[in-house]
Amino acid sequence: MHDRVVCCSECDELSKLPRPLKPGRYRCPECGHTLVRFVPGMVEKLYALNLAAATLYLMSLLYPFLSFEVLGNRSTAWFLTPIENLYDRHEYILAVTVLMTILVVPAARILLYLAVAIPVYHGRVPRYLPYALKLLEEFLPWGMLDVFLIGVLVSIVKLLGMGSILPQAGFWLFAAMIPILAYIQMIFDPHPLWELIETAQRGGKIPYPLEPIL
Amino acid sequence: MRGIERRLGVCRVCSQLIHFPPPDEGTVAAHCPRCGSEVAPRKPHSVQITWALLIASAIFYIPANLLPMMEVQTFAGTEADTILSGVLYFLQDGSYLIAAVIFVASILVPTFKILVLGYLLLSVQSGSAARTRQRRRLYVLTELIGRWSMVDVYVVSIMVALVHFPPLSEIHAREGAIFFLLVVILTMLAAMSFDPRLIRDAAQKEKHA
Repeated sequence: MHDRVVCCSECDELSKLPRPLKPGRYRCPECGHTLVRFVPGMVEKLYALNLAAATLYLMSLLYPFLSFEVLGNRSTAWFLTPIENLYDRHEYILAVTVLMTILVVPAARILLYLAVAIPVYHGRVPRYLPYALKLLEEFLPWGMLDVFLIGVLVSIVKLLGMGSILPQAGFWLFAAMIPILAYIQMIFDPHPLWELIETAQRGGKIPYPLEPIL
Repeated sequence: MRGIERRLGVCRVCSQLIHFPPPDEGTVAAHCPRCGSEVAPRKPHSVQITWALLIASAIFYIPANLLPMMEVQTFAGTEADTILSGVLYFLQDGSYLIAAVIFVASILVPTFKILVLGYLLLSVQSGSAARTRQRRRLYVLTELIGRWSMVDVYVVSIMVALVHFPPLSEIHAREGAIFFLLVVILTMLAAMSFDPRLIRDAAQKEKHA
């Protein structure tokens, strides 16, 4: 098979990728931008890890997140309490932004990953697959759960001096989910899925498990 | 060899290699055969849009730093905190790590982003061919760190939720937080609308001239 020509989206350099790809990362020879990452078993991993992330996320919403006690007064916050409070105080811009970046976008990303991985795992290419991949790409920078975790840690240290602050079950579930999300982001490469869509459009047989086809 | 020399480009959505129509056809854009997105050789009006977003964020940057982010209300009185006074408070308190985190996320990162994007735009517009590699690295870094500035916005919203003991003590968000939020979002959009391929375009033009 011939090598395949690709064009770097960051610096416009044309380069060739070998075929078949070996597992690993291929960088642009000019600027070092990652062109393709071939992760064997990506679909299976996405399926399993996103189910885990969805479960942890759902549970972290249901359990108390942090509790704070000062002079015998106790307040408990759930994951969504900050948004509720901002809304109650008519801070709509802040409330909507926090809602989008820590709830809507991250949850939508997990659901989209599952909507992609589950049918492909079972050997089908659903019609919505291109749209799901486009949305995943566009949502990428706006899900900020990792930034939120740092925000929580800073707040804990800030409040340490004022009273006693205790992380609750919701916090630990949430903290356990963050490395899983980071790993998902690390292994996800839409290239083989786009190749799959192309094969399906041409009416070809869908290869499974996904081979290093690019 | 660069894509533009062969009228080749890449689909931003699905990374498909795109053949652009020859120049005499009057249009520069093509449609990706795989995902249907419209593809232009460069992001359209990238420099103008980035300038607009950057100038807007630079304007909001002023009230974001001058106005208080939050307000602590106790029976002893009300105390308002700006970004800088928050950092200074932790420095005096001896919590150097937290002071460093807030300083980097809320002061260093937004300032760095605004300056770097301004520099990149000016250098592209003047057709500079110097240090293209370093400038591309600066751009990648700007795109990567932008979202971490949101830390302070989250801190304010968590504090508001936890310190809620009326009439004993209460924390409110103030206007500074909204301006700061706008700075973060606008600089993120500005970084996204900038096309890093322009850096090398300018360098190449100079070489041929």
